[in-house]
Amino acid sequence: MAGSISRVRSSSDIPMSVPMKRNLPSEWVLTGLVVAVVVILSILPMLRLVQEIIAPGGRLSVAAVEAGLSNPATWTATWHSLVVGFGGTILAVIFGTAVAILVSLTDVRGRSAFVLCFVTPLMIAPQVTALAWLQLFGPASPLLKLLGIAPPLGTRNPLYSAQGIILLLGVQYGPLVFLMVRAGLRKLPRELVEAGLAGGASRWTVLRTVVLPLMTPSIIGASALVFVSCVGNFGIPAFLGIPANYLVLPTLIYQRLAGGGPAVLAEVAFLSVLIGVIAMAGIVAQDIISRRRDYRIATTSLPVEPFELGRYRMLVEALMWLIICTILVLPLLGLFLTSLVPGYGIPLSFKTATLSNYSFVLFEHAAAKNAFFNSTILSVAAAIFAVLIAVPLGYFIAWRSSWWSKVLNLTVELPYALPGVVLAIAALLMFLKPIPLINLQIYNTVWIILYAYLARFMVLALRPTVSGFHQIDRSLEEAAQVAGAGFIMRLRTIIFPMVAPVAVAGGLLIFMTALSELTVSALLWSSGSETIGVVIFSFEQGGDSSYAAAISMMTVTLTFLLMIASNFLARHLPNGVLPWRD
Amino acid sequence: MIHSLKRLALAPLAFAAGLTVSAAQAETLMLYTSQPEADASKTIEEFRKVNPGIDVQVYRSGTSDILSKLAAEFAAGAPQPDVLFIADAVSMELLKKDGRLAAYKEANTTGFPAESYDVDKTYFGSKLITTGIAYNTGAAEKPQHWSDLTGSAYKGMLVMPSPLYSGAAAYQLSGFAAKPELGWAYFEKLKTNDTIAVRGNGAVLKSVASGEKPYGILVDFMALNAKAKGSPIEFVFPEEGVPAVTEPVAMLSTAKNPAAAKKFIDFILSDAGQKLALSQGYLPAKESAGRPSWLPADAKIKIMPIDIKAVLERTEEDKSKFSKLFGG
Repeated sequence: MAGSISRVRSSSDIPMSVPMKRNLPSEWVLTGLVVAVVVILSILPMLRLVQEIIAPGGRLSVAAVEAGLSNPATWTATWHSLVVGFGGTILAVIFGTAVAILVSLTDVRGRSAFVLCFVTPLMIAPQVTALAWLQLFGPASPLLKLLGIAPPLGTRNPLYSAQGIILLLGVQYGPLVFLMVRAGLRKLPRELVEAGLAGGASRWTVLRTVVLPLMTPSIIGASALVFVSCVGNFGIPAFLGIPANYLVLPTLIYQRLAGGGPAVLAEVAFLSVLIGVIAMAGIVAQDIISRRRDYRIATTSLPVEPFELGRYRMLVEALMWLIICTILVLPLLGLFLTSLVPGYGIPLSFKTATLSNYSFVLFEHAAAKNAFFNSTILSVAAAIFAVLIAVPLGYFIAWRSSWWSKVLNLTVELPYALPGVVLAIAALLMFLKPIPLINLQIYNTVWIILYAYLARFMVLALRPTVSGFHQIDRSLEEAAQVAGAGFIMRLRTIIFPMVAPVAVAGGLLIFMTALSELTVSALLWSSGSETIGVVIFSFEQGGDSSYAAAISMMTVTLTFLLMIASNFLARHLPNGVLPWRD
Repeated sequence: MIHSLKRLALAPLAFAAGLTVSAAQAETLMLYTSQPEADASKTIEEFRKVNPGIDVQVYRSGTSDILSKLAAEFAAGAPQPDVLFIADAVSMELLKKDGRLAAYKEANTTGFPAESYDVDKTYFGSKLITTGIAYNTGAAEKPQHWSDLTGSAYKGMLVMPSPLYSGAAAYQLSGFAAKPELGWAYFEKLKTNDTIAVRGNGAVLKSVASGEKPYGILVDFMALNAKAKGSPIEFVFPEEGVPAVTEPVAMLSTAKNPAAAKKFIDFILSDAGQKLALSQGYLPAKESAGRPSWLPADAKIKIMPIDIKAVLERTEEDKSKFSKLFGG
């Protein structure tokens, strides 16, 4: 990095035309820096992973692929991944689309509160969702015990199964489908719907023959995204699948790596590429399907007049809040009650309820204390760094549109589009040995997690920033340029202040996602660099559900507070930046 | 302009400098242990009170799990830990046989029974942990004998720690399998009785106390500590005998920080370390340290005689046989 800077500086010493000398070097330096960061964070890890598969140790070889393909565990886990991937996607799509249509096309009341609650599961870490739901069933459920309807001893918790995983994936990602379909429904051409109704078609017919066909692109897009998320999800199959010995690819990788250490890296690298290929296949399939027909919507019209539900309105509203109760309130209540239980199997009452689980994880348990510190620093650092990069990067992508800025955009998307396990394995491969030249060892430290977070979450800040740039009039910046302000000056005084709200909102999204992240840190953590997600996971694996529940409750509360607080930013933001705001 | 450029250029350097500083900290000790999460963190905390200059890094997992991780590290030529604190002597013997353990001749073993530590002083037992039968107080049956568990009343109701994860369970597996009156048939019967094997004793405790499975094979201190806290759990030491492990501590021959490793062993064997074990609800190896409240002085517990040499020879084979029978 330092090399490229000095080179640029010395080239500006060569006599050149005067304006070039005044304006360009700083911009070049910055461009160079931004490109370098993107290359280091996105391109290098993927290249390293591919190299490990086709040419481990620098020589072409198919040994790793053959070993992976000949192991029956690979095929079982692949099959399981496909089962929960498709199952979760189908459930999420049906669930999310139905709710989106209900909320967008009918005259139900209390929409924004409903959307806030409905989208919340998306902001809660998957392992916390899994832990919360587990507390609802089985003979140990504090809620069922409190109500006196706990099943007899020896009854298996039904969530420890493929069906359980599919159900929770559907709940976790249903809101994602909801958001995308709802965005599509906002653009639904009013005249088509009205023409259908005027022509005597019933509402069902209009829904079936007009609305749903027009929503196909949104639904297909959402399906692909959800499929990738389901296949790459680690938290839910780790909590529900490992106890049932139902392994999917990410949990298989985790178990291999936890037991075998760096020695099995080549083997798990193959498995991670396999997940990557499955995820990519989902995205390519989406591309092919949406190209088969042209779904362009020609006009921008007023929103569709909401269908009046009449006497069914109360019923539908009750149903909507029943959904919130089921997917949000009950699981969180279960989680909360478990966090108050003083010891295994002790029935909960006002007398036995205790806050000692909270004080244990906050003040006594060294790894948990470490984890709070690490996760906070990691997510703040990732958020700040991503915002600092996203602003100049978004500027190039949005306002200097050219082929290379598009490539840059795609490159940043890649680590987020691929399952987190893929990036984690790539980071391990890159940093197992000290970094050449500077001889710095970041394997087994918190820095390797920071690297992976930056690579993975940068796009969360970039997307809103780019959409922010698209909505801002460029004339102010051009005026400053004409007046002779250099690029850094314009960036500091004009560009950054203008996109600050969106960039900060993006940073906030990163902070919330990274705070209880598990997939990446489960593979990269070491003693001293535990994260909150890892500590929750190890407590649950060791049987200490109450401690896990206490930490989870704290992160859920923090997430919810941040979601509400961030609404104050909302006035300055384009639509859709904060997913929970309707 | 040049000024701001300089700042930009220096930022990554400062970042890198920060990295190296944090990488080259004070003295560190790498510990691999199978103690339960909360106990391990308490042990380290107390150790650091006596040795404030030493930063302890810990990897926690089941003993069998730690052994496979170590095997991989040996194969890669980069064993990480300085000191091991795991469930049983057999695992230590396995490592000793391959020359992985370093002797610590000067270790103070006064007051420890001679059978609790290795004659060559490569590993030192710290406590006595037996494995018996735990059951939920709401359960229909009150098991008394190992053979009860194969009865039809226990079908689908029993949980045990997997020997592929837990060292105490691996010891029990080979110990039982070598006995003519129990043998492999015992585990085959458990399997036909739909017994499940889970990751470690912690998971068994949770399962039994919460009632997911009313009966479990479990180590004594976990069950009895939970009972003392109010959990609905009872514990039986079957009269035909209970297998016992000693939770030994040992220094690796490849330790990067042997001085700190010795200090850790000193601490575990010290009166403070033995009292700590007592306060955590264990039975300390050093008799003068006292007995936990769950073990009255007149209590009769028969330790099952198990030939460590025999276990040592068959443990790997038994584990892989178990893996096939129970599917991991």
